[in-house]
Amino acid sequence: MEKYINEYIRPRLQGDGGEITFVAENGNEVTVLLQGECSKCLILDRCLKWIEERIEADLDRKVRVIGIRKKPYFQDT
Amino acid sequence: MAHIKVERRSMRPEEWIKLRFGWLKREICSEKHEIETFVIREARQTSEMNFEFYDEAPRPLKKGDMYFTPDGTAFIEADYELPAHLEGKKFCFSLKTAAEMIVKVNGRYVGGIDPNRERMNLSEYVDGRKLHFEIMGYNRSKPDDERNPESLSVRGCRQIFEGGYIAVVNEAVQSLVYDIEMLLDAALSGAFNEDFSALIIDELDKALNCIDFDDIKTQDVRAASAYIEENIFSNEDYKGSGNVALVAHSHLDIAYYWRRIHAVQKNLRTVLIQLRLMDKYPDFKYAHTQAYTYETVEKYYPEIFEELKRRIAEGRFEPVGAMYVEPDCNVPSCESLIRQCLYGQSFFREKFGITVDNCWLPDVFGNSWILPQILKKSGVDYFVSNKMSTWNDTNRFPHNNFIWRGIDGSEVYACVPPTHFISWNMPSQIMDNWEAYQDKNTGSATLQMFGYGDGGSGATEEMVELMHRFEKLSVMPQTEHTTGKEFLHKNFDGNQKLSVWDGELYLEMHRGTFTTKSNLKELNRKLEFMLREAEMRCVLRMKQGIEYPAEKLREIYKKLMINQFHDIIPGSHITPVYRDAMADYEQMERELKEIIGGGERYFNSLNFERNSLTFIPDENGKIIRKGICGYYAVPEIPALSCGKIKTEKADGWFERDGLKIKTPFYSVEFAPDGSIISLRDNELSREWAKGDFNKLKIYHDTPGNYDAWDILPNYKDKQEEIRIEKPLEFIKSDDECAEFSVTLATAKSTWQRIIRLFRRSRGIEVENVVDWNEKHRLAKVEFGCNVLSRELVCDTSAGFIRRETHRNTSWQQARFEVCHHKWCDMSEHGGGVALINQGKYGVSAENNVMALSLLRATIRPDPTSDMGKHDFCYMIYPHAGDAIDAGINKTAFEYNIPLEKADVDCDFSFNDKLWLQAVKLSENGKMIVVRLNEQNGERGILNLPKKAKILNMLEDETGAAEKIEYAPFEIITLGFEL
Repeated sequence: MEKYINEYIRPRLQGDGGEITFVAENGNEVTVLLQGECSKCLILDRCLKWIEERIEADLDRKVRVIGIRKKPYFQDT
Repeated sequence: MAHIKVERRSMRPEEWIKLRFGWLKREICSEKHEIETFVIREARQTSEMNFEFYDEAPRPLKKGDMYFTPDGTAFIEADYELPAHLEGKKFCFSLKTAAEMIVKVNGRYVGGIDPNRERMNLSEYVDGRKLHFEIMGYNRSKPDDERNPESLSVRGCRQIFEGGYIAVVNEAVQSLVYDIEMLLDAALSGAFNEDFSALIIDELDKALNCIDFDDIKTQDVRAASAYIEENIFSNEDYKGSGNVALVAHSHLDIAYYWRRIHAVQKNLRTVLIQLRLMDKYPDFKYAHTQAYTYETVEKYYPEIFEELKRRIAEGRFEPVGAMYVEPDCNVPSCESLIRQCLYGQSFFREKFGITVDNCWLPDVFGNSWILPQILKKSGVDYFVSNKMSTWNDTNRFPHNNFIWRGIDGSEVYACVPPTHFISWNMPSQIMDNWEAYQDKNTGSATLQMFGYGDGGSGATEEMVELMHRFEKLSVMPQTEHTTGKEFLHKNFDGNQKLSVWDGELYLEMHRGTFTTKSNLKELNRKLEFMLREAEMRCVLRMKQGIEYPAEKLREIYKKLMINQFHDIIPGSHITPVYRDAMADYEQMERELKEIIGGGERYFNSLNFERNSLTFIPDENGKIIRKGICGYYAVPEIPALSCGKIKTEKADGWFERDGLKIKTPFYSVEFAPDGSIISLRDNELSREWAKGDFNKLKIYHDTPGNYDAWDILPNYKDKQEEIRIEKPLEFIKSDDECAEFSVTLATAKSTWQRIIRLFRRSRGIEVENVVDWNEKHRLAKVEFGCNVLSRELVCDTSAGFIRRETHRNTSWQQARFEVCHHKWCDMSEHGGGVALINQGKYGVSAENNVMALSLLRATIRPDPTSDMGKHDFCYMIYPHAGDAIDAGINKTAFEYNIPLEKADVDCDFSFNDKLWLQAVKLSENGKMIVVRLNEQNGERGILNLPKKAKILNMLEDETGAAEKIEYAPFEIITLGFEL
């Protein structure tokens, strides 16, 4: 899962000025850290849903993706 | 007593107008027929014309469905049969979307749809009732302009499909909407006379009373328009003043929040949409920059290119900007900027038969003082830029239309429009421009560019329609829709009143772009010199009968040019853009290495004797520099000659007593962190250090919104603590070099400094091996010099510029971080200290302290920017005399151009007072082109080995000579017949 998030999903979000990092996997819950443009996206839930769909299509797993949105980018620590 | 603010809760007249305006806009389309057969394939672009699809087959796309994916391109198709009653009538295609879409119908490129335009005319471009739609859409999270509310409101990488329609526009409603759009802007912006604004509101209210909004009838709409015509447009009680030229333009970043591969279609959409506007409006003209973007249209969309060529021939689609791309004008070298002009102009000449006489760089982050000469000698008399007037954070740049005088005294007409280069042609924006215009009495008309940029695809129908109404609005300045060329010629030619700006066009902002993404900068420098070496060797090999690889060299040069774009080399882009650039650099380096080749003997490609200490790679060498084994030697190889390296045996050439070292040049006392407490010059009997010298400092660097771009003046307020992990210690020595090493660390990063003292060089080299994992930090190395100087002398790559180091006025205060090239120097009469770098461009100087900027750690637009391993060197070079007397420029060339083996012989030589900047085969293949550059600010005579053609930088013959009297900072281009 970590490899999939970091190597497959990440370049796609980076292509849109975003950034995603795998944080943890707990049962059927996958937690990711979102930065860059993703950190201020108003419709981020749609993107998380898409990630869930991709995971199901590519890894054949049904998971819930939880996004931790960091503070606005210029205040990111 | 508490103060109670009285707020009006009842509806104001302007609110009532806006409400009815909204209702009216819903009536623009008198008929809408939904296309219900859309299917979609989601994809991701992998190269300029290749896409990776998520699904094997298309899926149906219905209203309310989610579409687009992160970094996504979607291919949408539909077959539709036009209702019979619409055949032969005017109709359009309508689709509200956040994405940028190219629409093909029945195999023909018909137009484009994006957040700035949801309809495109269709009936003019199709025959029959059967319509096959092919739509390619690219969705971006980042809007084309964050000031543009239309595109800001729909940002995000997953969108909801709102349906596609065949629609019929009610022209009467549409026309009234344009009238009201313009009048509301004029009335509510505050840009115009208050009484006139009140009149507009009063009369608009009455005009809209003509319409029953429960049952909107076309004749009522026409009555409202007639009312406006009679009561607002015919009113001449209020007169405006001013003279504003309107040039349609769409700025396009080749890469930024998108990759270069995406710019191919972004550009196509822009071109296509502007061509379609030309179809509809016979008076509409549009200016488009960057030869590279035209090249991509020609390569991938030849049918559009043919259409484009026809409009260019008519003078309506106007190529502006002589350069290949819109490059950064701080970091690229003189020769790179010349090639931007050469390859740009060559394309325009070959394809369109024109030489573009203007340079159009609205978005670049300041402009080097060397540009006017380059432009003038590349057929360019006019320069257009923008940021100094609109983005300076400290001083108001004092001119908009003026003459810009360059380092050598060359002059070009310069236009720095007073307001932003992206505007939507609103009356208030035009008025703001005129109000802000500072050369009203000397510069004639002011320039207003209009059109959305960066994939926003330029002018819209609304902008053109409003423009057609401006003359009806008496308070407006006089406007003229014109081409860039017409504007420049009309307002500048022969204008004797223009003020002169003599100096660089420094942008008081974006000072971090000299440093952000340090790897790009270092490789750019390296490749610039590799290209010089490759071209020269290929010319020399021609005598051996080996063909000059003109195509390959041009291809590599063009790739370098593209990566010098003003959001690539400055580092202001997203992660994938950096990866693309690094991949390009690796490929270029590999190809150039192959072209440069090798040989038995070392070849000195410099046109002066190579006598500075040089690192020679050798697997048996004792020194490891940047991961390569080798040794240092003084080559003593004459100019443009081959030779062998002579080494000398030397033992005991330095003395060491703890952290006190004595070499033939210096008595050095180091601090444990590698900084220098005392640097006593044994030859000159003087001390060089005063204060922190070679001291690494890491500052908290939090510039806010423009993270990758800016360094704020208060960056020194807070420093990161640097601890000594491994104090300075002696590592090893050989016949020429003694190495010392210290490892420093912060909580997240380690920084090894390898300091090299030499037997036969005044230089002290510092190699920095860094594992950099910071966020919002700026690393600088500071040098408090025992020198009384009020100026920092900086290399520009084509001569030097002097910058004051005091803070007397706001102009000096604003220049707290500046761009330099290979070296900078702080000297007094008798001596000084130079810093010579290999790919660092940012430097600051205040009083006696110089500080070279080494690394940044920004997180927007790229959260991974500059993270990871770095290995870079700089050289401290104390000297007698000033920088010119000491030959610092030559030393810096020797430091930046590696000495390598070659299989060539050179039978020509040139005056070593001029820098031999380039030797290449001419673009027409008939001459050897030699470019020489005076860089010390001196006059002299250049005797040529034989009679040569004098060329401009486009390689046109302008004369012939055997002897040339050259002037300070002059760049001379010569042609020798084969």
